[in-house]
Amino acid sequence: MFFTKRRIGGMLLLAFCIAYAILSQRIPLLPFQAKSAFHARTMPEILAVMGTALSIAIIVLPSPAEYVSTKGQNWLTALAFLVLMSIYGLTIRPFGFVLASSMLLGVGYWLLGERKIWLLLVTSVPVAIAFWALMSIGLGVFIEPLPWFLRG
Amino acid sequence: MLDGIMIGLSTALNPYNLVFVVCGCLVGTFIGMLPGLGPMSAIALMIPIAASLDPSAGIILMAAVYYGAIFGGSTSSILINAPGVASTVATSFDGYPMAKQGKAGKALAVAAYSSFSGGVIGAILLLIAAPFLAKVSLSFHSTDYFALMVLGLTAVAAFAGQGNMLKAMLMTVVGLMLSTVGTDQTQGIQRFTLGMIDLLDGISFLLLVMATFALSEALMAILRPKASDEDRKKEQEAHNNLGSMKVSKEEVKEIAPVIGRSSILGFLVGVLPGAGATIASFLAYGTEQRLAGPTKGKLFGKGSIRGLSAPETANNAAATGSFVPLLTLGIPGSGTTAIMLGALIGYGIQPGPRLYIDQPAVFWSVIVSMWIGNIILLVLNLPLIPYIAKILAIPARFLLPLILFFSLIGVYFVSFNTFDIQLMIVFAVAAVTLRLLDFPLAPMILGFILGGMMEENLRRALLINNDSWSFLWERELTLAILTIAALTLVVPMLLPLYQKWRRTADRAGEGG
Repeated sequence: MFFTKRRIGGMLLLAFCIAYAILSQRIPLLPFQAKSAFHARTMPEILAVMGTALSIAIIVLPSPAEYVSTKGQNWLTALAFLVLMSIYGLTIRPFGFVLASSMLLGVGYWLLGERKIWLLLVTSVPVAIAFWALMSIGLGVFIEPLPWFLRG
Repeated sequence: MLDGIMIGLSTALNPYNLVFVVCGCLVGTFIGMLPGLGPMSAIALMIPIAASLDPSAGIILMAAVYYGAIFGGSTSSILINAPGVASTVATSFDGYPMAKQGKAGKALAVAAYSSFSGGVIGAILLLIAAPFLAKVSLSFHSTDYFALMVLGLTAVAAFAGQGNMLKAMLMTVVGLMLSTVGTDQTQGIQRFTLGMIDLLDGISFLLLVMATFALSEALMAILRPKASDEDRKKEQEAHNNLGSMKVSKEEVKEIAPVIGRSSILGFLVGVLPGAGATIASFLAYGTEQRLAGPTKGKLFGKGSIRGLSAPETANNAAATGSFVPLLTLGIPGSGTTAIMLGALIGYGIQPGPRLYIDQPAVFWSVIVSMWIGNIILLVLNLPLIPYIAKILAIPARFLLPLILFFSLIGVYFVSFNTFDIQLMIVFAVAAVTLRLLDFPLAPMILGFILGGMMEENLRRALLINNDSWSFLWERELTLAILTIAALTLVVPMLLPLYQKWRRTADRAGEGG
């Protein structure tokens, strides 16, 4: 089979290098800069050529017969965690640090199989409060702990 | 030098800094023990805390976490045959069989004494080598620095192992590409920002490291199928029955010469850019197996005390040795020192030959803190190992969300920008994909860290040479370094071909 791990990786990175090469041509240059030996596009152009050449070499050269195995892996749980982290990014400001972090931890434990409500609460809320206290009181890095409706 | 040691001692022995050495060693040991999480993740998780400290305390904390994580990695290798990092794989060859024979306590003690000796001998060698190399490198020009960076990057690829060289080179280039995102430093031109204001300052080093190591490690652990009940029972037994930690006089006599040899070998390998602790540990293991003779050599892999001591000594000495290029040339020799370089730059400190002159407190306190860190590892960690090992019994369903939380919040507490959390997720997904496809991520970090400096030195070199590229071959030192860089790439490619040719020639000779 052609699609070994190595070749799939090579193809993905080739796509990345081509996109990078296209974007490198959109870097604006002033007329006098374009004539100098080194300008803002020089390094990206060198890298785009090197990256493309290396990706092609990886795809073309003989590759060990190692294939991607998707069996038995917890794809749905991993996907749920990605969504959870993204929601955390969106809620940390309006919900405040303590509530958003407690939710991230509690839902995280739940996704990985913990079902006891009291344990979910005991292992998430105190951690969020303790970490907030360590950063705000201990290290002087302040972050709003409370949700928008409880702020003064 | 004596003045420097005194500066280092007064800084590192300051009670405030001492607290960070102790905490760093303990936290590092704990993180290093968790299968999959190694020194890189441990240091990355510490950066947000280190950023709020003064440079000396911050670097001391990160260095302590580094040794702690290496020691912790050895513990999980010995107890559950699950090396936290590649550099402790060789430790599991004999450490785990010893644990299975009911000698887990002894194996942990030998590992601790060997790590301590390797670290201390390495620190003495660092003390001699670093100031010397710093003085020599004061005569380096920007052209030489550019060439050195090329050498550092090619060496990483060259040491990646057969079959992985091209992948490591490509990942290095990807890292260099990522370093070009943001506003061009000298001309103020936006590059690859895709019109996003959040990308004007480029990609944060901390964000990239956290996403590619800590976050992706946790996601990989979530992806992996759950361990069977039998595996869990086996792990639990290993945590509970450590056995005696006493090492007999005969055993000390047996491992003493091994420690001496492996320390020097490990340090020298560690100094080479790109080689690092993994190669040092395997080299030391192989060397000792050969030196042990046919009778004792057969015991290697079955619970040999020599086979455990050699890689443990070498990986710690190499970890110390990797600080030589970082502190003297400003060029990281490994992924871990690359992260430390990024942290130093974050403090506004540029490692290199001037560090020795401009920031003696930082320079010497790092070296002295290595001794103190190793002593603390031995005095504090060893008696605590039975208890620390029990912490490992915390179920993964609690540990993994905590790692994700600390990674996300670590980045957010530095930038206070929620865009960074979303960008981290994108990088984590890319990192998990690349891990599943067996593409190495450490060369990418190295490329990312060196990218900005490399471009700056190349720009400066061209400016000095009136826009002429001739400096690449006209200045002897630059040419010599570039030649070595080319050789590090070409020789590993040609070596298998030469060996194949030799075998064919030998067979033809035998046939004839």
